[in-house]
Amino acid sequence: MSGFRAFLGKELREIVKTWRIWVLPGIVLFFAVTGPVIARFAPQLVQALAPDTGLVIQIPDPTFLDAYLQWTKNLVQIVTFAIIIIFAGAVSAERRSGTAVLVLTKPLSRTAFIVAKYLAQGALLVGTVAVGAAITWALTYAVFGEAPLLSLAQATGVWLVWALMILGIMVFLSSLVGSQAGAAGLGLGAFVLLSIASIWAPAVRYSPVGLLNLSDEIVAGRAGSLLWPVVTGFALTGVALAKAVWAFSRKEL
Amino acid sequence: MTPAIALHDLAKHYGPVRALDGVSLDVPSGSVFGFLGPNGAGKTTTLRILTGLARPSSGSARVLGHDVVMSPHAVRSAVGYLPDVPGFYPWMTGAELLRFAGRLFGLSGRVLRTRVDALLDLAGLAGVKTRVGGYSRGMKQRLGVAQALINAPSVLMLDEPTSALDPIGRKAVLDMIASLASRTTVFFSTHILSDVERVCDTVAILHRGRVAAQARIGELKSRYGMQKIAVEATPSAEPLAAALAHAPWVSAVERPSDDRVVLAVNDVQRAQREIPAAAVAQGVGIRRLETVEVSLEDVFVDLVGEGGR
Repeated sequence: MSGFRAFLGKELREIVKTWRIWVLPGIVLFFAVTGPVIARFAPQLVQALAPDTGLVIQIPDPTFLDAYLQWTKNLVQIVTFAIIIIFAGAVSAERRSGTAVLVLTKPLSRTAFIVAKYLAQGALLVGTVAVGAAITWALTYAVFGEAPLLSLAQATGVWLVWALMILGIMVFLSSLVGSQAGAAGLGLGAFVLLSIASIWAPAVRYSPVGLLNLSDEIVAGRAGSLLWPVVTGFALTGVALAKAVWAFSRKEL
Repeated sequence: MTPAIALHDLAKHYGPVRALDGVSLDVPSGSVFGFLGPNGAGKTTTLRILTGLARPSSGSARVLGHDVVMSPHAVRSAVGYLPDVPGFYPWMTGAELLRFAGRLFGLSGRVLRTRVDALLDLAGLAGVKTRVGGYSRGMKQRLGVAQALINAPSVLMLDEPTSALDPIGRKAVLDMIASLASRTTVFFSTHILSDVERVCDTVAILHRGRVAAQARIGELKSRYGMQKIAVEATPSAEPLAAALAHAPWVSAVERPSDDRVVLAVNDVQRAQREIPAAAVAQGVGIRRLETVEVSLEDVFVDLVGEGGR
């Protein structure tokens, strides 16, 4: 247990002391700051893109909903890609650099190694997105004078279930595949498959695939039941981590 | 007394390749044990099995009586390990790395602080504030030995700790190992014979996945090393070399220079009697006649062959 605590502490300090503290937070906070502003000025931006064409573009006046949808779409599309790329080397980078040998020849089990990695990166993800959501809420309120908290919190929370599942899958792929690029490729492939599956209604209703568009639907006020997508999302996260431990335990270093 | 390390018929196969092919050896507690062999002999594979990084195909490996497959946690708690190419977190300082390594062993508070300070001193890294990413190869290797000692291990395993170092770095690391001689069992893999002669008391020679010999260094030399006698003759050693080349007690003849011949012999007393007689018969004067001390290199070459060096 002391080995787990020490390694988790190392993971958290590594986030703060290396590039990790800049990349994911930088991406998320950029969208948190720009989302409400872009939503507010979207009609003017569109008009500016088609000057003097005689074309009349009718865009309804933007509301806080547009700012929230901007936030959730960026999370689903861009931040998911970022998670896949950034965490593709979560385990394999330590194997390649030889640091896995340094720590795993001490009283640290491979299970503790995987779980500590997941918890530390998950804490970074949750903390960053929570701060991003708070900024989105504050700026939306400042720009539109209206920003209901509950729908944004629910939408962000549901997306975090999705993101933590993707993180679990990436930790598994990084345990399985030796190269970061290979794991990233497989992760992107999995993301594409989940996106394709989201056109099949039963998959959306009863599997983690439903998490993909659920944040948008919560914001738009037309979300169905959250239960199955959330429960199966957590279940898939657990399965991914168990498979990560299994795959990593079989590897010779 | 339970050996610090006991290998019995240990094998490791990678498909058709037999990296280890029935290795058996005992490492006595308290010894500085040289695990010697040419590149590719199976030294690193053995160490990876002992530290739980790889699994044996068959046979058994025990460290301090614990089976490395059945009780990996007990083994890892009691050993210190330096891999051949140690990896460190480049963003840590040396002190941070040692503190982290100590915490993995459950150390904390004053004990940890004291050990970190003592090991930084031992490694010559006290007061170095640079991050590990900026260390030289020699500094990294010394830090590697220091982190392997953080838990005051009963067995210290070092894989080729000097192979990539310059002479000064090598001396520093060998001095560190020598200073541990009375405190812990050191299992030290290398292909550098002079390093073994300098710090080890016992050796095993591994060749093609098998132990070719294991003994204390002196015993190994007398058991496997061919005795040599060097003769300096005047005006030339050539007639003497020619006359003795086919003597039944001569195994090999070397001519390092015109006036010198070195004879590998299997009967020293007979050689000492017959060399002066042969010199007289050939009209050659003897300026000097001496027995040459057998080196570990001679034993190694005898056992492994020239290609193994």
